[in-house]
Amino acid sequence: MNALLTSAVAGLTAAGAYALLGVCAVFTFRLVAVVNFTGAAIGTAGTFSMIGFISLGVPLWPAVVLGILVGTLAGALIGLVMTQWFSEATATTKAAVTAALLVGIVALGLRLTGGQSPKEFPTLFPGSAFRLAGVEVTVASVLTVVLALVFTLLADAFLNRTRTGLHLRALSERPMAAELLGVRVRILALLVWAVTGAFTTFALMIIAPQRSPDFMSLSLLVVPALAAALVGAFRSFPLALAGGLTIGIVEGMSSAIDGISQYRGILPFFVILAVLLWSQRGARWDEAR
Amino acid sequence: MKRADLTSCLALVVVTAVAGLAVYGLLPSYWVFLATAVVITAISLQGLGLVTGRAGMIALCQMSFAGVGAWTVGWLNVIEAPGGLPVWVVLGGLAAVPFGVAIGLPALRLRGINLAIVTLAFAAAFDVILATITFPGQTSFLSVARPELFDSDEGYFVFALLFYLAVALGLSILSRSRLGSAFLAIRHSERAAAALGVSIPLTKLSAFAISAFIAGLSGGLLAGYLGTLVSENFSMMQSLALFAVATMAGAQLAEGAIIGGMLVTLFPELLRRLGLPQDVGNVLFALGAVQALASGETMAETLRRNLASLTARLGLPRFAPSAPVGTVLPPPRNRRDPAAAGPTLVIDRLGVRYGQVVALSNVSLSVPAGTVVGLIGPNGAGKSTFIDAVTGFLPAYEGSVRLEGRPLEGLPAHERARLGVRRTWQTTRIPPDLSVGAYLDLAAPGLSPEESAAVLTWIGCPSPETLVQAVDAGTRRLLDVAGVVAARPAVVLLDEPAAGQSYDQALRLARRIAEIPKLFGSSVLLVEHDMDLVRGACSQITVCDFGQVIASGPPLRVLEEPVVKKAYLGIALEEDAA
Amino acid sequence: MKSISMLLGGVALACLAGLSATTAAEAAGPTCKDGVIRLGAVSTITGPADFSEVPEAAAAVFDAVNAKGGLNGCKIEYTISDDKADPAVAAQAARDLIDNKEVVALVGSGSLLDCAVNATTYKRKGVLSVQGLGVDAACFNAPSVAPVNVGPYTLSTAMAYYATNQLKAEKVCGFFIIIGGTQEAYKGAIETWEKISGKKIHLLDMTLPFQGDLTPYVIKARDAGCDAVIQNAVEPGVVQWVKTADAQKITGINWLFLAPGYTQEVAKALADSTQPVYVGTEWEPFTETGSAANKDWIATMTAAGKPLTAFSQGGYLAATVMLDVLSGINGEVTRESVTEALQKMQPKSYELAGTPYVFGEGDRHAPMQATKVMKLDKGKWTVETPDWVVLPSAN
Repeated sequence: MNALLTSAVAGLTAAGAYALLGVCAVFTFRLVAVVNFTGAAIGTAGTFSMIGFISLGVPLWPAVVLGILVGTLAGALIGLVMTQWFSEATATTKAAVTAALLVGIVALGLRLTGGQSPKEFPTLFPGSAFRLAGVEVTVASVLTVVLALVFTLLADAFLNRTRTGLHLRALSERPMAAELLGVRVRILALLVWAVTGAFTTFALMIIAPQRSPDFMSLSLLVVPALAAALVGAFRSFPLALAGGLTIGIVEGMSSAIDGISQYRGILPFFVILAVLLWSQRGARWDEAR
Repeated sequence: MKRADLTSCLALVVVTAVAGLAVYGLLPSYWVFLATAVVITAISLQGLGLVTGRAGMIALCQMSFAGVGAWTVGWLNVIEAPGGLPVWVVLGGLAAVPFGVAIGLPALRLRGINLAIVTLAFAAAFDVILATITFPGQTSFLSVARPELFDSDEGYFVFALLFYLAVALGLSILSRSRLGSAFLAIRHSERAAAALGVSIPLTKLSAFAISAFIAGLSGGLLAGYLGTLVSENFSMMQSLALFAVATMAGAQLAEGAIIGGMLVTLFPELLRRLGLPQDVGNVLFALGAVQALASGETMAETLRRNLASLTARLGLPRFAPSAPVGTVLPPPRNRRDPAAAGPTLVIDRLGVRYGQVVALSNVSLSVPAGTVVGLIGPNGAGKSTFIDAVTGFLPAYEGSVRLEGRPLEGLPAHERARLGVRRTWQTTRIPPDLSVGAYLDLAAPGLSPEESAAVLTWIGCPSPETLVQAVDAGTRRLLDVAGVVAARPAVVLLDEPAAGQSYDQALRLARRIAEIPKLFGSSVLLVEHDMDLVRGACSQITVCDFGQVIASGPPLRVLEEPVVKKAYLGIALEEDAA
Repeated sequence: MKSISMLLGGVALACLAGLSATTAAEAAGPTCKDGVIRLGAVSTITGPADFSEVPEAAAAVFDAVNAKGGLNGCKIEYTISDDKADPAVAAQAARDLIDNKEVVALVGSGSLLDCAVNATTYKRKGVLSVQGLGVDAACFNAPSVAPVNVGPYTLSTAMAYYATNQLKAEKVCGFFIIIGGTQEAYKGAIETWEKISGKKIHLLDMTLPFQGDLTPYVIKARDAGCDAVIQNAVEPGVVQWVKTADAQKITGINWLFLAPGYTQEVAKALADSTQPVYVGTEWEPFTETGSAANKDWIATMTAAGKPLTAFSQGGYLAATVMLDVLSGINGEVTRESVTEALQKMQPKSYELAGTPYVFGEGDRHAPMQATKVMKLDKGKWTVETPDWVVLPSAN
């Protein structure tokens, strides 16, 4: 039992990351109606450019800012593609576009970053926050959890309490209608893409030193992230947060159980299956189809 | 099989045979080796094209299914199962089917988008599993045994080509079948497909199962091709790249799959010859897929269009199947129990609310057998909600709906449609890439070609081989009506069929609608704004306003009632004046 | 520049002289049709890993020979094919080399999956491969491949042997990433060590994920009381593992990694770490630029403008082996004659490696059985074992 608790706590690092990325995915979906497979890849691009800036001699924190800027631009660039050519497309087509883009981005990223040769990833927030069940809980993992929590609250408040948030929701549901309301659709959509780009970049910068820091592995964090978002049915921020934390912690726990630990990578899949089977009991029809 | 099917199948066989012979006879062994890879990839792409291109779902785990097939073949090889490679490959395909079904099951009721995530997660999970198990026979250097006849590079090319041909033929027949039309229908609109009596879960599941089977075949062929395999053959990135290629090339078409196979196989060759890095390929596939999605046209479709315009410019005769001519309509529907003379459809105190908003309350209505009943009311009166409730498209409602005495509560939309409650939509939802005849076949299975042609002539639609996308919007609405009546259900619910029609067309439509009970044996509930059409077609009308019935009876009497004039005709008159 | 090429010429000549001395009595050495000997390599260059330094180094060796007029007048034509770590591309590349380029042998390949995918093809086509860097398990388990490197499996045994013999570890633990059927090979490696040392492995975890959070595993090692941990991660995984151990403030465990961890980048990335980190090398430590064993290799690489990495040692050594074997052929160099020469060759010692190289006729080949252990010290690798750690079974 103690071993289980220990490994559960050890899974917290991953949990925070999954939760944060999951909440970002929900944010993107609710505001621009895109299931974004490139989410983590955008953040990864920003993170690797930070490394690039550091190797050019830029000090750490300015490099962080520059890296986030690159991530923001990368997000906006994908957003530009989506708004330019796919603003009227169905959700399925949009998802197909991001899935295809992921293939290209990973290939490009691996090329530019030189495959698996390790980069020196600076630990932005070194040290451990506290010790729990014999595990040092690092500042970084606490920070990702807190950041995910803050982002959840902010996003919820933004969407439900502010005028811009309402506009954006109108936009995601009916782009044409929003246009008629006089909302500057494209600018707002681009803004959303940019903001999520910035957030995922920052999130990945924090967690990159604790992950296998190559472009592909980091980009494929999108799988548990989308699993978390699915727990929240791409609507609820708190549920997505809970989903991400659960996947991470369960993944950590499973490493303590012999016989399962080898297959712990398949946990997101089972979480998705369980959630879907539970939540989709009734027939649902796609809106407007 | 119809003649058109036979012709196109024959064409496929001839083209494949000629191309195969050319490769077999003219190319050196290395190029035959490459061509084999093209064919095997093309098989896998055809399966993917069925799910993504035809049924419109995103599947990101095609190579995982292929992996199941490959591992099965490897294992059968190690235990020296009887039958040899041809049998093993088929078994490998079958082994992938349960996986396809298992992935499809939880995703059945979902918006397609979630399916993408499920499949990607499966691909990731499969990566993890595959990484831990060796390909059977690898450590002992036992490569998958090929049949003696097909052992050489050339022989194996023929072996793979035969499988390709079988898959292509199967899919070609499938695409012309009702199931094939159903795939297109659910891609276009799941609701409309369900309204035609198509079971959405079953259709999606069969698409997934067939696709997994084909992927399994290709995996098995790959095992025989390379002798031994590694997990990287089937990694998540391979599946993603294959998805991009399928999207780019248009894998739902047989030639699109070949184009895709050539892209996957010959691109590395080209890059090697040009001295360019190999990873350029994936970047180009991604851009190509985005371009195809943006333009809405895949490489195969572009090829078809250019070929068509070329044949047109050269003045070559175009292949056109002779259209069947028919003047005899299908026999009208027989009531199961002619003695029971009760009304066909009885709605008792129907109520629908969305949260706090009451959309319908206490609406009772009956449609007697052999009649056309009109349901009219101003905009927002709840007429479409009424149809949605009766046909099973709302999650919940109060009251009861009975069809020929049988309560319909608890039945999903497609079951109601099959029992005999059919509807049309306010905006037409016919898949544009079907032909008129295929749509009629989908809507009303079991009609003979002559009967189909007769129904189309009766309502004024173009001949069966015309593509729906070539038909104008007004005529599509007629096709909508033709589809539901040709199925000869117990009752037909028409939702504003005259919208977008000219005055003359509307009058003609009114006459046709009035004929429906006599010619097809179906009762009709007509929701309409056009008063002339209502007067011309209906023997009874019910007027709704604010979700409640305010008048009911024969048209001439009801339309004179002051409450109706106030609520409804006043607005209509103003509209006419404007 | 001139002096270097003179030196190179000297080396090549010395090589040739040494060889021809034994064979001079019989014939004039290798001959070739149209004046070229065709060789090739299948390597992972793009994709998730870049092993291009391996064949590039081999190319540098061949270029140097060609610049001196070739091998007995035969120019060496060396083709490097990228496999993108994609099995389909790897198979294509091998077939292209064999069918179209008509190579007589493969040499200096370094790939994530070349052996697994192509060893059968090589066997079927009667071509042998002197792998510059054998990575996957098939490289050490195929009749058609004999790598010039020790490889992760033998190296695991060697590192465990080093941990018990020199670090006096009592509780040796193993954490292995298992990909693509390497489980048996690693199990075998640990069993070999158990036989040699007479000890039992304290904890063997073969479930390490290729990617993902490593914290639970580091904690597991600590809680099990391991005093030496053998781990087989590649570069990023090594960094991640040590950083995780640092984050968990773990002390008192020796971390032993395999050759992929032995790079300057790892040393730099872990400059701040105080964890005791050891790696086993495939060859003479490449960071020891002053060592005599490295002299020829450094000269060749510097002359060609190639980087001095462990990978380039592999390519250099494979090319040198191939040149020696080719020089020993009397008569025309064909696929058959090269294959025969490799299978009949006598073990030959090279300064870069601790045991002699031989191809031979066996069903599997792992001629290299020795390593030198390096320790990480403030961002630099230092030699822990100036003498080779040779596995007893190899003697």
